[in-house]
Amino acid sequence: MEETDDKKLSAESEILDNALVMIAILGEKGRVVSWNHAAETITGYSQKDVIGSDTIWKKLYPDKDYRTIVTRKIAGILKTKNYFEKLETTIHTQSGESRTILWNTKMIRESGLERAIAVGMDVTAEREAQAFHASIIDNAYVLIAVLDPKGKIQVWNKAAEMITGYSPDEVIGRRDVWKKLYPDAEYRRGLTDKISRIIAGQNYFENLETTILTKKGEQRILSWNTRQIGDGGVYHEIALGLDITEQRKAEEALVAYMTEMTMRLKQPVDIVSNTLLESAQLLKDGMLINNEIIVVLESQARNAAQIVANIQEFQKAIAEKNRSIPEAYRKFLEG
Amino acid sequence: MPDYIDPHELEQKQIFLILASPGTIRQRNTDLIKEISRLGYHTVVITTNYPYSVLARMYAQGGIPADSVSFIDAVTRNSVGNVENIPGVVRFINNPANLTDMGIAITEMLKDQSGRKVCIMYDSVSTMLIYLSSVNISKFIHFVINKLRLMDISGVFLAVEKGLDPMLMTQLTTFVDNVIDTG
Repeated sequence: MEETDDKKLSAESEILDNALVMIAILGEKGRVVSWNHAAETITGYSQKDVIGSDTIWKKLYPDKDYRTIVTRKIAGILKTKNYFEKLETTIHTQSGESRTILWNTKMIRESGLERAIAVGMDVTAEREAQAFHASIIDNAYVLIAVLDPKGKIQVWNKAAEMITGYSPDEVIGRRDVWKKLYPDAEYRRGLTDKISRIIAGQNYFENLETTILTKKGEQRILSWNTRQIGDGGVYHEIALGLDITEQRKAEEALVAYMTEMTMRLKQPVDIVSNTLLESAQLLKDGMLINNEIIVVLESQARNAAQIVANIQEFQKAIAEKNRSIPEAYRKFLEG
Repeated sequence: MPDYIDPHELEQKQIFLILASPGTIRQRNTDLIKEISRLGYHTVVITTNYPYSVLARMYAQGGIPADSVSFIDAVTRNSVGNVENIPGVVRFINNPANLTDMGIAITEMLKDQSGRKVCIMYDSVSTMLIYLSSVNISKFIHFVINKLRLMDISGVFLAVEKGLDPMLMTQLTTFVDNVIDTG
């Protein structure tokens, strides 16, 4: 019988030791009774450093203020129940690293003594990945809004705040930001109809351009793309809005310049050409005297010189307007 | 030769934008003046391309009475230098881009012709594009049209067809009473 108990104890000890989560069994006043291999690996403190003492907690939480917060939190939980679940704390390892641990505890009785088993899962990598993703969302240069199935906004990133002027506090958990962004009821209705038509055919839309009114009262043009995310019948909408206002302005300016250039270059060249041809005919018909020929030729030479000046002016204007033109071409355009 | 302008509309002192192809715009100028003269109007031609003397000779050859036309010449003075205005016949300005002088010359010429039925012909909006941006042309034409309306005078603006960008064309169409594309 004793042999069986010993075997059982040995097996339990082996399981405890080889578990992939840190397991600490605490005795009276938080003294460590057992400290498994994972606990050693994660914290850097060996069984020898820890067993029989309660000083490990000061080592794991060297910052007094933070330790007080954790202690109060635990005390608060233990007031109502004798265990806690999913308590997340940040420990300081022997090598000076910070690790995020998700704690669960359970009270047991062993040989008539009350023990607490603390199971700590190292979620550092997971939390870092979450923080990384959150950081990507937050620092993305596109407006990102995530809507729950009821249309309430759950995520509103920094770009969303920067573009619209509305902070997450004003938007999260609400649905009325769209009315603020599209205050014109007729425009909003037209947009809603358009979106409904698109959504009826496919459950997303791509490159839908809309004009929003920001909190400051400025108009911005956004290009929207949406996707449904989620599973298990609960879907969220993720809406990505790219601010293309400057791009549109640049395109409009470029089109305006090109049109103006065509109008102010092609037509004038035609005029010079036609005037010279007509003058040649008038000369043949004896309708021009010498002085008039001089005036016509000189005026057309002035026109031609002005056309060249216009070309240079347009070259410069295009180069200045569109900074994305490669340097070599810009220098050429700038003359 | 078809008539381009409705006499009743001219009588109502309307403003016209007349479009013509590059090859026919010179002939259209003469045709229009002949038509306007026949209706008993004196035409003040603002010329930005040919010296007035050349146009005067063309008109004479086209059978247009010399006293039914006077000129604001934006071409000659730039080449010849100091030429004197001939009251009732021609006023010279230094260059087509000098809109202030052009505005003054129009006012003075209209004074010279006071008491007569007068029509202004601006030849041409297209040539002005060499010297002025479409924005400035639009502003100037708006100014001239306002002046004409205040003085109860009709006007004709000549331009090469398809030569004005949609924005300028829209603005000019808004300013004038009639757009006539003569092809």
